[in-house]
Amino acid sequence: MTQTHDHDHDAHGAIQSSSGVNEFEVLEQAVRELAIEKGLFSAEDHRRFSEWAESIGPSGGSKLVAKAWVDPEFNARLLADGTEACKEVAIDWLDPTGVGTPSDYTYFYVLENTPTVHNVIVCTLCSCYPRPVLGMSPDWYRTPHYRRRLVRWPREVLAEFGLHFGPDVEVRVHDSNQKSRFMVMPMRPDGTEGWTEEQLAAIVTRDTMIGVAQPKADWTATSSPSAG
Amino acid sequence: MSSSEGFDEIEYRVGNFAPVLRTPLDSPYEISNELFAALRHVLHDVGGQPDLPQPYREKVEEEWEMNAYVTCECLGWRGVWNSEERRRAENDLGATLYFGLPYYARWATVAAKVLISTGQITPDELSAKIDEVRARLEKKSA
Amino acid sequence: MNRTFGIGDRVTVKNATSMFHTRTQAYTRGKTGVVVEFRPDWVIPEDEAWGRDTPERGGREEPFYVVRFKQKDLWPNYTGFDVDTLETEVAQRWLDPAKEDAK
Repeated sequence: MTQTHDHDHDAHGAIQSSSGVNEFEVLEQAVRELAIEKGLFSAEDHRRFSEWAESIGPSGGSKLVAKAWVDPEFNARLLADGTEACKEVAIDWLDPTGVGTPSDYTYFYVLENTPTVHNVIVCTLCSCYPRPVLGMSPDWYRTPHYRRRLVRWPREVLAEFGLHFGPDVEVRVHDSNQKSRFMVMPMRPDGTEGWTEEQLAAIVTRDTMIGVAQPKADWTATSSPSAG
Repeated sequence: MSSSEGFDEIEYRVGNFAPVLRTPLDSPYEISNELFAALRHVLHDVGGQPDLPQPYREKVEEEWEMNAYVTCECLGWRGVWNSEERRRAENDLGATLYFGLPYYARWATVAAKVLISTGQITPDELSAKIDEVRARLEKKSA
Repeated sequence: MNRTFGIGDRVTVKNATSMFHTRTQAYTRGKTGVVVEFRPDWVIPEDEAWGRDTPERGGREEPFYVVRFKQKDLWPNYTGFDVDTLETEVAQRWLDPAKEDAK
């Protein structure tokens, strides 16, 4: 179902001038050049932060989950102090500035799903997201639509993602409205006995760590574990 | 075109026929306390407001979007503002811009504004730089 | 600053007027939940948003709490199940001890 009939290029929000130049790109570049000219930050700062932004992605979170699944003691450390435990998979919440990022802070908590509690994350006020472990947030996560609906109609939203739970499962929504950043630890699916951490990490997708999906052992990828 | 697409199209057009009774706000002489309260509502606080199901889109960041994000973070890193000031600046754009602009366009807009509001640049410096960058990019794409 | 509330305390979010900026959501105002976790002392967002982001700059640090609400207490005609909950983080200044007869 579509809500809008903007079939045209505005779907990407870029206002094209007759020459095809993107006015948002113009604005951003103007701001950056002025900031650098005035010494507010350096070109090197921008480069370093960009490199970090390109290096982050959901594989960080997948590694945390896979490790927690195979190592109960790591699981306990991860739940007790998420920020510290990240270092064990080479993720440092102080990167790249040495004091953390301005928007992600350094208070990271992992929410463990159980057979009776399913966690799901939103930031109704803006779009706070655990970038160091999951990378950049999905477009839909940042929309007013998701921000409006998840807190009040969580089961409807989850159903739209294909997840359904009965009345015996507590759906617990986390509205991350302050400095904490959250990630969901999904439950390890049946059929993954004996898998390596790498094989397990491959089925822990970004959406399973937001809470709108669950990992599947029969996820078909180029190298499914049963392919030997 | 599948039949479900045709259905959505018809549904949307039929919805447009319904009469709308709305008094536009254009600096009214007086308003009720209820309307004042609604107007005062902090804009980003949308949790629980009614909305209809919409497709969940995936979109890889374009280069200008990543740059906008990094520029805002660098401004925070080097002390021009903190992220809560940025978020308030986005709200302070007002509803039309807040909901009208794409997500990263909001970021780029408030970054431009904070440079002026903190006295780092003058408005004409911003305008001149925008025109200069546009000319440069137009020349490149020509 | 001293922590006023302990884990397990029932708390009600104040219904104070907010102008211009807050991070205490409208949907929690006047609602009662239970403290489930402590968060560190943070500068309140109502100060941070105006540049008072460190104690030196006048930013007021205070304890934050994770408060868990029953969804059926938050929303009229909640369409999910009775077990459902919502957790969010609230600064100490926004909390009162739960009113005895509050849901």
